[in-house]
Amino acid sequence: MTREQLDSLAAEFRYVVTDAICRSGVGHIGGVMSLVEIVITLYFRIMHLKPEDPSWPDRDRLVLSKGHAGPIVYTALAYKGYFPKVWLTTINKNGTRLPSHMDQILTPGVEMTAGSLGQGLSCACGMALAAKHDGKKHRVFCIIGDGESDEGQIWEAALFAAHNRLDNLIVICDYNKMQIDGRTEEIMNLEPLVDKWRAFGWETFEINGHDWEDIHDTIRKADAVTGRPTMIIAHTIKGKGNRETEGLVDCHNVKIPDETTYQRIMCGLDCKCDLPY
Amino acid sequence: MVVNNKERQKMGNYHDIEMRVVYAQTLSELIERNPAVCCIEADLGKADASIPEISKRHPGNFINCGVQEANMIGVGAGLAKEGKIPFCATFTAFATRRCYDQITISVAYANNNVKIVGNSPGITQGPNGGTHMCFQDLSIMRAMPNMHVYSPADANELRSVMFYMAASKQPTYMQLVRLKMPKLFEEGAPFDPNQAKRLHEGKDVTLVATGFMTRFALDVARQLATEGVKVDLLHYPSVKPFDAQTLIDSVRKTGAAVTVENQSIIGGLGSAVCEVLSEYHPVRVRRLGIPDKFGEVADQDYLFNKHGFGPEHIARACRELAGSKP
Repeated sequence: MTREQLDSLAAEFRYVVTDAICRSGVGHIGGVMSLVEIVITLYFRIMHLKPEDPSWPDRDRLVLSKGHAGPIVYTALAYKGYFPKVWLTTINKNGTRLPSHMDQILTPGVEMTAGSLGQGLSCACGMALAAKHDGKKHRVFCIIGDGESDEGQIWEAALFAAHNRLDNLIVICDYNKMQIDGRTEEIMNLEPLVDKWRAFGWETFEINGHDWEDIHDTIRKADAVTGRPTMIIAHTIKGKGNRETEGLVDCHNVKIPDETTYQRIMCGLDCKCDLPY
Repeated sequence: MVVNNKERQKMGNYHDIEMRVVYAQTLSELIERNPAVCCIEADLGKADASIPEISKRHPGNFINCGVQEANMIGVGAGLAKEGKIPFCATFTAFATRRCYDQITISVAYANNNVKIVGNSPGITQGPNGGTHMCFQDLSIMRAMPNMHVYSPADANELRSVMFYMAASKQPTYMQLVRLKMPKLFEEGAPFDPNQAKRLHEGKDVTLVATGFMTRFALDVARQLATEGVKVDLLHYPSVKPFDAQTLIDSVRKTGAAVTVENQSIIGGLGSAVCEVLSEYHPVRVRRLGIPDKFGEVADQDYLFNKHGFGPEHIARACRELAGSKP
């Protein structure tokens, strides 16, 4: 895909996922928007998948440990053909197969249930270990949040993955510097974050999480790492791409109670697209 | 000591060895039958006897997470998602209450086929005392949707339960008594989680037991028979699912029930019995076990006497309820 095509797809994803979340009246817009470029890169440039066969044994796996960003992965899955795009209009609605947090039973293409923070990375470790055990060559990707990194279980998994030399595990930290109650440096400072992961024995990279080539090339570098897992600290902007949310601490979980709010949030986006449903 | 298969067969009687060793040997056997089975530990592999039994015999199927119970459950969930059948073991307190949310979400809610094993339930933690004595694992695990809860009473039943667990795709919690246990069941005795076992037939009072307490309940039933009190003893190797019909049929005959468990009387076996009987066939029930208390460093007899659920307390309760029916 050309850079223009990627930019265009990202703009469309932001428009569609914002509309889909707004239809439910409330949703995690901030942490969804910070992941748009990363999720597109994984699903459209990196991961080997067969959407027509979601259980294809050799597929790459993605565990979205920060499960509240589910809607951006649902958007990617819909565009890849795992389910009809019209499903996106059901996010968080009664009887939906696209709940606010990831559910491996409900949603085709979702590898692991996640939502209670800190758990997905451990599960990704188990999946990577199983692949090693079986001599499989597929990769396990995992996206964690920066707020999520407050959880002790993240650091249990960090020890475990390094100890077991899980070089088929590539983790991306969505470091948008904000969590529900405020900025991470005020609520629970993570710095020096890169040094921490290096000290835990991980190959560690820092990238601009909105730069296509930085994301893509660094994941390729991570692919070549042997003998240790890789952490990619992705510097991102919470609520990216919408003037109503970008860089605002209160954009974690946004309420859209009425049409006026809906119009205001949709108008905050950089571009307008045709909705695919 | 790692025993090979021939030596194991020669040993023959699993009741001559500790239940934890039976656990490790049976898990080893399950791995030999199905390489997808794996043993996950959290630095209590020696206490669970999987070190050296499995760590030496099947190192590729042995994973030690160190002191990381929460991570162990997540790793187990990931392995299960990929088709493995992980048995994750540690002491009951750490296997359940310490990582209850991880089990709830990554295992039960996600329906990942993880087998969780709680070693040394209730008062059998003895010397480790109150911090390690978990009296609520049956209760809290029973309250979790999509979770089966088993508590085998002897070595042969333990083996049958483990064979069932390895063959099923059901998230499961199993209590594992670490000690030697007297033989109650024949080798290969069938295990069906939907079926209670009647160990003693009687018409005067129903006695309901599970796991560690069943052996004592059977002794009491036999003793009371000599006094003319006929106990209908039901053993529940599965506390969830719970075989309601066998219980209802029994109390229709006896008119009263005593329950005994190596657990808090809040939420466990006794509660399961009361839930069924209060809705379908109300009769007088006496629940024996640990009242609303924490544990302490003490031996079995001290704790039986302190909390009132040893053999003489069971006998007394059975006599009272057998004699107090209208």
